[in-house]
Amino acid sequence: MAGYILKRLISALPVLFGISIIVFVIMAMIPGDPATAILGSYATPENVEKLKRDLGLDKPMMQRYFIWLGNMLQGDFGRSFSLNRSVLDEVLDRFGATLILAGTSFVLCSILGIAAGVVSAARQYGLADRAITFAVLLGISIPSFFLGMMMILIFAVKLRWFPVSGMWPIYGARDLYALISHLTLPALSLAVVATGVIARLSRSAMLEVLRQDFIRTARAKGVHERSVIWRHALRAAMVSIIPVLGVQAGFVLSGAVYIEMVFQWPGVGRMLVDAILKRDILLVQGGVVFVAACYVIFNITVDVAQSLLDPRIKT
Amino acid sequence: MMAFPKLLARNRLALGGLIVMGLVVVLALITPLLPLADPDVTNTANRFKRPFSEGALLGTDHLGRDLLSRLLWGTRLSLAVGFTAAIAAATLGAAIGIIAGYYGGRIDNIIMRGVDMLMAFPYILLALAIVAALGPGLMNALIAVAAVNIPFFARNIRGITVGIAHKEFIDAARLSGMTDARIILTEVLPNVVPVIVIAISTTIGWMILETAGLSFLGLGSQPPQADLGSMLGEARSALITNPHTSVVPGAMILIIVMAINLLGDGVRDALDPRLKSGALSRPMPTTMVKRTMPVPEAKAETLLALRGLKTQFQVKDRVYKAVGGVDLQVNPGECLGLIGESGSGKSVAALSIMGLVASPPGVITGGAVYYRGEDLIDAPYEKLRSLRGNRIAYIFQDPLATLHPLYTVGDQLIEAVRAHHPFNKTEARAHAIDLLKSVRIPNAEQRVDSYPHEMSGGMRQRVGIAMALANDPEIIIADEPTTALDVTVQAQILSLLDDLRRERGLAIIFITHDFGVVAQVCDRVAVMYAGRIVEEGPTRTILNAPAHPYTARLMACVPELGQGRRELAAIQGLPPVVDKMPKGCAFAERCNKASDACRQANIELVRHGANSLVRCISPETSALEASE
Amino acid sequence: MTTVLKLTNLSKIFPVGKRLFGPPKALVRAVQPLSLSVEEGETLGIVGESGCGKSTLARMLVGLLPPSSGTIEINGEPLDNADPTLFGRKIQYVFQDPISSLNPRKTIRQIMEAPLRHLHNMSAADRGRRIAEIFAAVNLREEFLDRYPHEFSGGQAQRIGIARTLAADARILILDEPVSALDVSVQAQVLNLLANLKDEFGLTYLFISHDLAVVETVSDRVAVLYFGSVVEVGPADEVFSHPKHPYTKLLADSAPVVGRPLKAPEGRATELPNPLNPPDGCAFRVRCAYASDQCGREAPRLEKQSDGVWTACYHPLSGSK
Ligand SMILES: Nc1ncnc2c1ncn2[C@@H]1O[C@H](COP(=O)(O)OP(=O)(O)OP(=O)(O)O)[C@@H](O)[C@H]1O
Ligand code: SF4
Ligand code: SF4
Ligand SMILES: [Mg+2]
Repeated sequence: MAGYILKRLISALPVLFGISIIVFVIMAMIPGDPATAILGSYATPENVEKLKRDLGLDKPMMQRYFIWLGNMLQGDFGRSFSLNRSVLDEVLDRFGATLILAGTSFVLCSILGIAAGVVSAARQYGLADRAITFAVLLGISIPSFFLGMMMILIFAVKLRWFPVSGMWPIYGARDLYALISHLTLPALSLAVVATGVIARLSRSAMLEVLRQDFIRTARAKGVHERSVIWRHALRAAMVSIIPVLGVQAGFVLSGAVYIEMVFQWPGVGRMLVDAILKRDILLVQGGVVFVAACYVIFNITVDVAQSLLDPRIKT
Repeated sequence: MMAFPKLLARNRLALGGLIVMGLVVVLALITPLLPLADPDVTNTANRFKRPFSEGALLGTDHLGRDLLSRLLWGTRLSLAVGFTAAIAAATLGAAIGIIAGYYGGRIDNIIMRGVDMLMAFPYILLALAIVAALGPGLMNALIAVAAVNIPFFARNIRGITVGIAHKEFIDAARLSGMTDARIILTEVLPNVVPVIVIAISTTIGWMILETAGLSFLGLGSQPPQADLGSMLGEARSALITNPHTSVVPGAMILIIVMAINLLGDGVRDALDPRLKSGALSRPMPTTMVKRTMPVPEAKAETLLALRGLKTQFQVKDRVYKAVGGVDLQVNPGECLGLIGESGSGKSVAALSIMGLVASPPGVITGGAVYYRGEDLIDAPYEKLRSLRGNRIAYIFQDPLATLHPLYTVGDQLIEAVRAHHPFNKTEARAHAIDLLKSVRIPNAEQRVDSYPHEMSGGMRQRVGIAMALANDPEIIIADEPTTALDVTVQAQILSLLDDLRRERGLAIIFITHDFGVVAQVCDRVAVMYAGRIVEEGPTRTILNAPAHPYTARLMACVPELGQGRRELAAIQGLPPVVDKMPKGCAFAERCNKASDACRQANIELVRHGANSLVRCISPETSALEASE
Repeated sequence: MTTVLKLTNLSKIFPVGKRLFGPPKALVRAVQPLSLSVEEGETLGIVGESGCGKSTLARMLVGLLPPSSGTIEINGEPLDNADPTLFGRKIQYVFQDPISSLNPRKTIRQIMEAPLRHLHNMSAADRGRRIAEIFAAVNLREEFLDRYPHEFSGGQAQRIGIARTLAADARILILDEPVSALDVSVQAQVLNLLANLKDEFGLTYLFISHDLAVVETVSDRVAVLYFGSVVEVGPADEVFSHPKHPYTKLLADSAPVVGRPLKAPEGRATELPNPLNPPDGCAFRVRCAYASDQCGREAPRLEKQSDGVWTACYHPLSGSK
């Protein structure tokens, strides 16, 4: 097992390398040059030239890429001109908030989605199935940012159950209770879409598995139906559900960008959008590479979970 | 293909989606013709008018612009962008996927590594990076959304293409002299198109959401032009004071995406052949029973007796009478062979005994199954469960598909025991090892912890047998247990089964289509044709002097080793389809002795000689011959 | 008699666990270097159990798989790395699964026209005439031409598959388990049809099957394959009535036959060797009752026995059954 994890980690290196190249290439497509963007269009040509030299922009692409990569490996993601702060510090600060939001949502949507999918499949065409199918349809059709806004209107403004926005109260203690009350609405809004997708896929994975011969074998052995569903079928279905969870984690992370905007959550997504609008390229570059790298690591965890579940994967 | 609109129309939800979507599209198309206010003209004096107010049906926004007009123009824009992005992503993704999947090898490897690399990003990061590079704007948002979706399409289509590229008809096309390009266009593509259509129809809603999302963030359409997303984004600051400016565009997105999703599901259901045949439904724990006729009496005291058993499959408006009234009985210690060609209903009859026929679509519509005088059809679930695997056990054909791939064989054996006996784990494990030994698996102590995929076909079938023996049943129903195996392995398994049955006094119902196998292991044999028993009797009698013309001619078709090169006897024609059974004898079409009498009325299964039964009015042998 | 098909040291090695760069993790020798020749107008049967390399061999013969080594000669012309189009006119292939060998989205006419058009550049009128001739020969009604494959039963689909190979007008047909997916009554129909076509068109068959009895009814000569090597080859009646190789004997004894009592021909619970890790020497050694030390040292070569039978065994069985 340890060997397998190591192998997966090593195989992630080319992926991380690829990610850095993709980000670098995309950023190199920027029309005009960052120096002008930083200094504004009224800057003198001399100043622009000087800044370019300082930023190393006068060097050839390849060289620039390796300098950038080398710096990143040493933890130097550059400086954000709009915040006048180290990119890595800013990203690290913000990423914690995103992690809390996205992590909570992810746990919520995995549990709810799988449970809904299994129940729906086990009661195919029954009342529960219809209700779940409808809820799922609604869930995957509603834009999460709109849902978030409606949640604010109803639960924060009308009913006043939860605060309208932010992660912490402006005055008052920053304790767990405060966090949970701020987290509830955004985490729910974020979880809804992914729950729908997971429920759908779990349902069809379960239906697929329930038709397999080994389910008939289990029944022919006299195994109780409860155990046929939750032990035999779900376990086999998990083989196709787990990769979906990996993909959905990416979607949750993506959806977090909208939710952070709606709820003024101080996460990495809002930072990125602000940075794009201010054309703070280094901040965008650093933020994207950092989050993508974290996602790669997460996906390795998913693979490892998959290999624990499925003995047919060679470890 | 013609049936497609019909199928879609049958699905009411999809039809609803189609209607709503049609309305929205028509509205979007005729927007320029409608007498609407200019969507971009600001009039701050009139800001935040409520809906249904004078001159503004849906009210106005923070700059006093008419919301209805903005909504329709925005819808137009959102739809255009969403569709374009979906088509672009699908075309490019499908092209990449088909090329990777068709050529395989290194090309595939390199392309898919690239795709994996792109999929290693949470998709929005990539979209944000692209927008960051190209600058905010609707066109750029479109490019970003299309670009991040290409890998999804590519991967999906590649998977399908790989499956198709390995089909034999592709090889056949190659041997017919077609070039790769032609094969891709005329053989692969037509088979992939439905998948592409399904993929588009199930993701297009998603793409509309994504472009709306980018606009919402202020990275898509730029003021004053607005799509639904940017309308919502602009309304956000007035959410609490003037919620209608948010609700209007938000509800529109919801309606559009929901209609598209409903329609998409309908398209998927209509195009997916498995859904069409109802094959994606979940089989229930026991077969459905709808007996209309009176239940036949149990005759003499026998171990297991089927009386007039009828099982059918209801698929759409067709009814397949797979088993059309079967009578059989097995006595303790006896091996009964059930032989017949594919589709004759052997498996369905056998599975009906313990209510294991997949249902839906299977229904038991008549007859009874008596186990020691007790009717099992209609028995409560708990009763059936307590007998399954305990008193009556099954061995199935394909040992790889019938064992759970994720549990060790030991766990599966232990489970079989513990379903009926309160053994603790260690006792059960010891018992499992004993079982493996009893089916002569070498190194049972180690093998108990193997997974099915780690064993050979023959070993897996031994595990299947061990599982059937787990609770010392009285009856084993073996459905073609050796058909999937090589002859040399088959010989081992057959002799094992034969030994076990003699040691333990088991009754076996042995299903096969091989007369050689029947001759070697069965005491008595029943021949099935088109869902009914046509002949039954002691193995020797039937093999030496078959009475039913079908049996006789079927046996003549079988090539036997040691007879050299020769022409074989064949039976012309095919068995009747079981949803259109002829009136009299089902074999009449193919029988050279058929007369009018054969076609007129139902032919009964009657006693023929001392120990045999036959369903024919002019049997091949006399009753006297049959008695010998 | 002329030799129409000649294989010399033909072999196929599959890499498993391919990597993007660098060598694969392991090699499977699906077909060991083997040499065979087929005379004009004869039927050579090839028997063997699953995984012994029958289909790999067949696919190499029609150019669907490039061989790893060796040569294929058809009528004296070397053809080994030619493309399937060149092969297609000389040698054709009948597939095991009749349904999946027909494209579900094409009509039978489109399927039948492909070889006529692409291999023989025939005009539309000629194509129509030729299809009618062929359909008459395989007993298919012309009204089938405008239907789709899913409307046919396995036996009918197999006839269509055979009709397609006839359209290519090749003289040599590779029949890869052509009847194993069919029921016995239909199997007999198809086997008889194949025999008639052979006489009518002067064809040469390579008939592959796992079923000894089927092979015996159609073959003039048979080759027995075990683990990618020919272990015995010779006249069909001779090979089956007096097997010389212990494996051939095991096969013949294992087939269930009416009137022969059941016995396990192999006492122990033997398992097949692992293709990734084949045994040294004779591949059959672990299952062979006659194995000696010599058998473990080097793989035996095919050697001529007295009566036209070639056997790869150090201790061939004596003639009696
Ligand atoms: N799930 C199903 N839905 C619809 N029809 C079915 C289903 N299962 C079986 N049938 C039909 O029931 C009939 C009998 O099938 P059955 O599987 O019992 O045949 P069999 O004699 O076991 O054949 P084989 O030798 O191929 O196993 C066939 O016509 C088959 O098409
Ligand atoms: S009843 Fe008539 S048609 Fe049927 S098998 Fe007997 S003779 Fe033939
Ligand atoms: S060579 Fe030796 S091991 Fe191989 S078959 Fe002959 S006797 Fe048996
Ligand atoms: Mg069956």
